Amino acid sequence: MPNEPKASSDPGASDLIKPPRFMGLRIDRQQVIRAFFSVSAAVTIVTLFLIMWTLVTEGPFRLQKKLGFLPVPTLKGGFLDTYRWELGVYRKAGLEFCDHVKKPLTEHETIFSRLKRAVGAELNTVSKVSRDRRDAAILAKTHVEERAALQREALQEALDKTGPATPPEKIEELRKAVREATARKVAAEVLPPLFTDAEKQKLQEDLRGLQPDQEDFPPFIQELMAESAKQDGLAREKFAAFVTAVDEFEVAADPIIEVHDAMKELALATKELAVQQHMSEDAVAQLLAAAAIAKTPEEKAAFEKDAAQTDTTAIDFKGRIEPLLAKRADYEKLIPAYLATVKKVMADMPSKPLTGEARTLLAKARKDLPEHIKTVEASLHHMSGWKWDKPIPLMQSLSAFLFGGDWITNSSWQDFYGMVPLLTGSLVISLTALLIALPFSIAAAIYVNQFATLREQEIIKPLIEFIQAIPSVVLGFIGISVVGDLIKSTSDVAWLQWIPGFPVAERLNMFNAGCLLALMAIPTMFSLAEDAINNVPRAFSEASEALGATKIQTVFKVIVPAATSGILAAMLLGLGRIIGETMVVLLVAGNRIAIPDFSDGIGTVFQPAHTLTGIIAQELGEVSRGSPHWQALFMVGIVLFAISLFINWASRLVVRKFQLPKI
Amino acid sequence: MVAAPPAPKKPVSKPAHHEPSAVTPATPTAEGVISVRGLDFHYGTKQALFDVNLEIPARKVTALIGPSGCGKSTLLRCFNRINDRIAGAHISKGQVVIKGKNIYDDDVDTTQLRRQVGMVFQKYNPFPKSIYENVVYALRIAGVKKKPVLDEACEHALKVAALWDETKDRLKANAFGLSGGQMQRLCIARAVAVRPDVLLMDEPCSALDPIATLKVEELITQLTKEFTVVIVTHNMQQARRVADLTAFMFMGQLIEFADTTTIFGAPQQKKTEEYIRGIFS
Ligand SMILES: Nc1ncnc2c1ncn2[C@@H]1O[C@H](COP(=O)(O)OP(=O)(O)OP(=O)(O)O)[C@@H](O)[C@H]1O
Ligand SMILES: [Mg+2]
Repeated sequence: MPNEPKASSDPGASDLIKPPRFMGLRIDRQQVIRAFFSVSAAVTIVTLFLIMWTLVTEGPFRLQKKLGFLPVPTLKGGFLDTYRWELGVYRKAGLEFCDHVKKPLTEHETIFSRLKRAVGAELNTVSKVSRDRRDAAILAKTHVEERAALQREALQEALDKTGPATPPEKIEELRKAVREATARKVAAEVLPPLFTDAEKQKLQEDLRGLQPDQEDFPPFIQELMAESAKQDGLAREKFAAFVTAVDEFEVAADPIIEVHDAMKELALATKELAVQQHMSEDAVAQLLAAAAIAKTPEEKAAFEKDAAQTDTTAIDFKGRIEPLLAKRADYEKLIPAYLATVKKVMADMPSKPLTGEARTLLAKARKDLPEHIKTVEASLHHMSGWKWDKPIPLMQSLSAFLFGGDWITNSSWQDFYGMVPLLTGSLVISLTALLIALPFSIAAAIYVNQFATLREQEIIKPLIEFIQAIPSVVLGFIGISVVGDLIKSTSDVAWLQWIPGFPVAERLNMFNAGCLLALMAIPTMFSLAEDAINNVPRAFSEASEALGATKIQTVFKVIVPAATSGILAAMLLGLGRIIGETMVVLLVAGNRIAIPDFSDGIGTVFQPAHTLTGIIAQELGEVSRGSPHWQALFMVGIVLFAISLFINWASRLVVRKFQLPKI
Repeated sequence: MVAAPPAPKKPVSKPAHHEPSAVTPATPTAEGVISVRGLDFHYGTKQALFDVNLEIPARKVTALIGPSGCGKSTLLRCFNRINDRIAGAHISKGQVVIKGKNIYDDDVDTTQLRRQVGMVFQKYNPFPKSIYENVVYALRIAGVKKKPVLDEACEHALKVAALWDETKDRLKANAFGLSGGQMQRLCIARAVAVRPDVLLMDEPCSALDPIATLKVEELITQLTKEFTVVIVTHNMQQARRVADLTAFMFMGQLIEFADTTTIFGAPQQKKTEEYIRGIFS
């Protein structure tokens, strides 16, 4: 501090002299401190910009060097461009054409599986009892055999031994052992109440006589089997029309499948060629680029020679598509017969099914089948209107991404990058989580701030905030091991079946993920809501109480309305936390990439789904850098980023809109 | 301060008001609407009121004056038990009897009590709701649902608070759009909407400008037609202008309680005299 002695030597003027300079530089400390903070802010902003830059240049754009050094993002080579190329091949090679045939076939499959289950349910009304009796008897037999396995194996070994065959008395001894062991086990075996006492005795008799070298089933079990077969036959007779109609429906698709397979083969071959040719073109471009910067003329010549030798002849899409188009006639020929079978099924479905299961299944089928007929007819139209050389505009690849219903990757057929299933998954899970977390966190905030004693506050607040410290992977474990089982077992409870979606098929589903995300969001939402309630001026509650309001009335009529802006902001920030969370959804949401079937209403939440965050975490590590799939994942990242920005913006807006005016 | 000159003019009506109290004994000893009997009050371990005895008569304005921190607000806030909100606050001795009932008995319903003893605070504090909703708040929480009843009560309360003409066209507007004086009168309207017997006011004019103060003071003298008013004030001019009776407090004790004219004209206690002459304050 060189100024110090000078200042003291001249006390009169010292007050007016600037403070000592910083490390001998001509700047004062205030400025240094200011600079430090402004630099920190600047670094943050630059980082944010770099993140956006990366997302953009890895996703929709690609960097190209202009003037040799200036990186400029261009659409060429970016996601939209490469995806357009892929969709172009999909069309030119005729894959799209094949998918027109594929669509009715997929529908056929789902409808058939429903019908088959309906048939099973109907047949069961006749044959179930006898089959259950047969199965129970066979099960008892297996049990007994398993439990006497030790003795049985010893006997079997003795019987199998050839060298010197086992002496008969030894075999007799072993047989005795088996008999005894078996009898013990039979006595222990509990038979289900499907049998009368007399039958039980018969069955036990049968079981006691079991020997390992016995080929046939014992007589009573044989009787049961015969009875079951007879009942089965009777059942099939009773529902003969329905059964045959469904059987016919199944095979009716076979010829179409055959045609479709033939078409697929043609289309795939063309696609293969197109991909090959594209790669060769790339290779040539790289060789030429290498040639341009080659050091010696020999090297240059070698590169150019290689480039010239690479086969890049354009593919004759037009010629190759002809045989494929010709298949349309084959397909068309099959349609009348197929539609006749479909109509037959519609006619032969029992109008009054005997079981509830069949009733719901058939109701669905009755709705689906006319639609199916329309799809089949439409497929012919689509095929005749289809043009292999219709160009694909750039915007179409964007809309295929934004509004596409399929996210299919690494497929042997065609990759699609449509984010709708991921987006719906993310949204449904987030909304579920929000709906669960909101009442809990706000109720907890109200309780802690308004009703809890000081001691309770001291316990509850840190506990809720502690939830935040649980690593999300651990929550994922809990979701898989505890919550999943809990949901499953609850959904099987008989008197809860009125809840839509029960019984649930999958333990890992959107509801499960929603529960855990709600748990993760509760601390954030609780703290913010509690702050908001705490910030309501005391004068309001005092005035309310002085007017004779009870505590509860004060809370709900004055405090909560006055805290609305803070509570809404808490909700939105909680939503931001939920939508960006990755680990839990990846582990728990079930990861089925499909648009949820919203016909289940509220029950939709019990379906598995995949999410925007989950797909990035799952796939980014496995795709090759710069491939369309890689770029598509970055596009998903951009969408996530946009959603987060939107939520932040919305929360600012909400806070401003609901803020209390100052007095 | 341009507004100051008219101020002394207004209280001209006051002596007229004052006449009946001149007939009653100078130190009111008759049973009042509120009788405080030997009240000791504590904030936690700190004692704030010492053996206060006071009979507040009906349909009069009673002012509580005294230096800052002497316990005026504390005493006032004992009358509707709003002190219950403060953790640790309690009375250790004595009673506050309102309408023949000690309000500190265990079986007293504070909700009902507060409907009969309304309160207006120092800083106007309307709810962030419409003017209408502010006024009918107490009725709504008391379970009144009928729209005509609410409308009628709203109009009456606003008229009592001399706010009807200014707000009748904007009842649905947010209360925060009013001026400070209007907001304070709205708070008065809100308190009188349930027609309490007693109206407590803790320095109701200290956040207002002189003109607004004047309006509120005028209003207070009018309120005695329907209500018993107890007002805490720092402003001795104000006490003179509006109060029929004045109580002087000092260090948690009630020093003197008498007719306003007596207190300001011929105080019996030395402390009162000193205070009035401006030795402390
Ligand atoms: N909530 C509280 N907790 C503890 N002590 C309090 C509390 N409120 C007031 N006091 C104390 O009680 C005494 C009386 O306070 P009070 O507010 O009644 O005074 P006051 O006469 O209204 O004063 P002022 O004219 O400044 O409003 C003061 O000493 C004050 O410090
Ligand atoms: Mg006070």
